[in-house]
Amino acid sequence: MQAAVVDAAGRDSDIAELLRAGHRDRAFALLLERYEGKIFRLCCVLLRDRAQAEDAAQESLVRVWKALDAYDGRASLSSWIYAITRNRCLTALERRRTMDSLSDSEIEAQVASLVARQPEPADERAGELRELIDLLPERQQRTLLLYYFEERSTGEVATMLGCPEGTVKTHLFRARAALAGELRRRGLDDPGLWLEASP
Amino acid sequence: MKESARPNGALDRALDAALERTLTPPPLPARFRTKLEAALVRAGGSSLLEARTRLEREQRERLAELERDYVRLRRRTLGTMIGGAFAAGAAAAYALPWVTASLGPIGPLAIASAGAAVGITIGVYSWLATRAQSAAGARG
Repeated sequence: MQAAVVDAAGRDSDIAELLRAGHRDRAFALLLERYEGKIFRLCCVLLRDRAQAEDAAQESLVRVWKALDAYDGRASLSSWIYAITRNRCLTALERRRTMDSLSDSEIEAQVASLVARQPEPADERAGELRELIDLLPERQQRTLLLYYFEERSTGEVATMLGCPEGTVKTHLFRARAALAGELRRRGLDDPGLWLEASP
Repeated sequence: MKESARPNGALDRALDAALERTLTPPPLPARFRTKLEAALVRAGGSSLLEARTRLEREQRERLAELERDYVRLRRRTLGTMIGGAFAAGAAAAYALPWVTASLGPIGPLAIASAGAAVGITIGVYSWLATRAQSAAGARG
């Protein structure tokens, strides 16, 4: 993760400079431009729920805004922002666990939405792949999703998840191996089948 | 254990391509920014009006600084021109007897005419370039 942190620190030196000069608004505007998408994607991956991810991303950014004056530059800005985001997501997950059970009408609404989301024949293959990804251990799922969301940057994924880059590579390797193994087991290991697949 | 992030083998590569097609990043929800700005105001972190006022003040300060730089530059240009003119006059007074002796009575006139031609050429070129730039700016 060290190299990724150094890269991120270089990338955010302009924001750090603005903060040092006391231009908090401009620094936040720049930060927002650079990180709002990443924060939202991290929330999506950690929470696996768009609406909750949007709320958590908003809360994270408000918290970043409030704490911006206290940012001391000891950690890289990206590590600091992602740590705040992960904490917000953990809080949201806790909240979700302690929530009351769903009412009958809510269950009916969820079933209706699941029925409405039956895959079209065209995206059947992508659906199969998503189904296999859902079978992976949580950490491998998160790493795999972020890796493809963040343009295959293992360094960025490591910073986002707050773990060493080597761990990201290990999770990726194991996730791919597990997916390939499952495809072989299901007799879907013809490469042509997946090269032609479209979401 | 050293493990690569890059896939190898035909199935791995095909799987990698399929994953890339399937796992596309979720787009930001519509009105994400608007909601965030409202949340910031609610949180009392910043009012938009305050932020706008601050930004306008910063912009005014930057414009004033640019204006000061511009005036400084004009003064320096004027100083250079006056100094250059006096230096040219002194050089002409000093060199006039030698020019007349070397090139004859028409020598000073020929040198002055050549200088005037060069000056006019530079002036016309500069004027045309400025006009072309203004026209391009008006079109853009």
